[in-house]
Amino acid sequence: MVKTGVDLLTTSVTTVESDGEPYTLVELAGEADVTNSDALREALEAEMAKQPGTLIIDLSGLRFMDSSALHVILRANRTMGRLGGVLALAGPREPVAKMLRLTAADQLIPVYATVSEATAG
Amino acid sequence: MGDSAVLNRTFRHVGFFYRTEDEYAATVARFLRDGLAADEPVFAAIPPARIALVRDALGADAPRVEFADMTEMGRNPAWIIPRVLAFTGQHAGRRVRYVGEPAWAARTAAELREATRHEALINLAFANADAEILCPYDTTELDPAVIADARRTHPVLLSDGRHGSSPGYAVPFQIPSSCSFPLPAPPDDVMSHTYRTDLSQVRALVLQHARTAGLTDARANDLVLAVSEVAANTLRHTRSHGTLTIWHDQDEIICEIHDDGTITDPLAGRRMPAPDAGGGHGLWLVHQVCDLVELRSDGTGTTVRMHMAIHPPLAGG
Repeated sequence: MVKTGVDLLTTSVTTVESDGEPYTLVELAGEADVTNSDALREALEAEMAKQPGTLIIDLSGLRFMDSSALHVILRANRTMGRLGGVLALAGPREPVAKMLRLTAADQLIPVYATVSEATAG
Repeated sequence: MGDSAVLNRTFRHVGFFYRTEDEYAATVARFLRDGLAADEPVFAAIPPARIALVRDALGADAPRVEFADMTEMGRNPAWIIPRVLAFTGQHAGRRVRYVGEPAWAARTAAELREATRHEALINLAFANADAEILCPYDTTELDPAVIADARRTHPVLLSDGRHGSSPGYAVPFQIPSSCSFPLPAPPDDVMSHTYRTDLSQVRALVLQHARTAGLTDARANDLVLAVSEVAANTLRHTRSHGTLTIWHDQDEIICEIHDDGTITDPLAGRRMPAPDAGGGHGLWLVHQVCDLVELRSDGTGTTVRMHMAIHPPLAGG
């Protein structure tokens, strides 16, 4: 488990060997903003360097997310697409879900209610 | 397409000064019918009572016009330009016609300032558009200062049935002073907080005050997002601290951020960034989630004043 930012954002990574395809799960907790978006980008880039077929970011632990964190996620989505993989988001709380809607990011990146829906999706 | 179609490719922004409902209905209906006759997509965003008038005047033609309740669509005047850009985008390559009535007497002074700013910005946002825009102003109800500003923001005026160029229209583009002068001072009993990098504390303060003022959780979270986005710009674009000021009365809570930064694009936040754009989402979100945003920026710094109504006229949000 890596502590990032000013102890505001926690990032934990697991590689899950499911019945179907294995996937990488990144769980975010706390508050993701401009003060820790560099750390978030580094954490995601480190995982994407291993070329996972599917990367799921679990947002359910996020109390807050700003446009800096969104840009990191959008950039990760482009990287995953270039690598032939898929990025999915899971479990955003309403304020985060609303922000994804208002920016239309939810039309670029699939957003699921839960991680298990994302793995089934 | 003949030569005339090419020659007609122009942007026209007309301020229409009216006194009576009959004059309103006849003029707006004629404007819309001219568009229908030319096979142009037509859109009218006007207050609900005015929609009823115009529908009556249009009769069988009414269903061919897209109507929107301006008191909803333009409650925050910063929402209007993106909505009209979406309409022109749906009909890309075609000349479009739009009626927009952004000012009405029941609006607050701050809303009217922003309605005026919106009208000025229409000239920038649609400068290269193939569009005809008519903006009705009720001269019997609105403050004469609002009408005077409408003369400054519209290149063409329609009054007493006659079109004429507006002598007061500012060229090159200019925001009328009524909405570019410094904002009225806050009341004496405000909460003030200086921040540098601790945005979490900024958000906690906003959340606490928003709840005390009586905002619902959803709207309190909207205000938290808006303030945090503006405060993040202090970190991104300045080397100094920023100041958060919060106050409220029975009608609204206001959060203001001041810092040393400069925002040069007057349309910032009024055009939806492409979803995968590398920037520009911050001010877009600020305008989208707030009921009203006032922004002043020059060489001395930037002030962004974000308003949230405590009892919003509409459910949801």
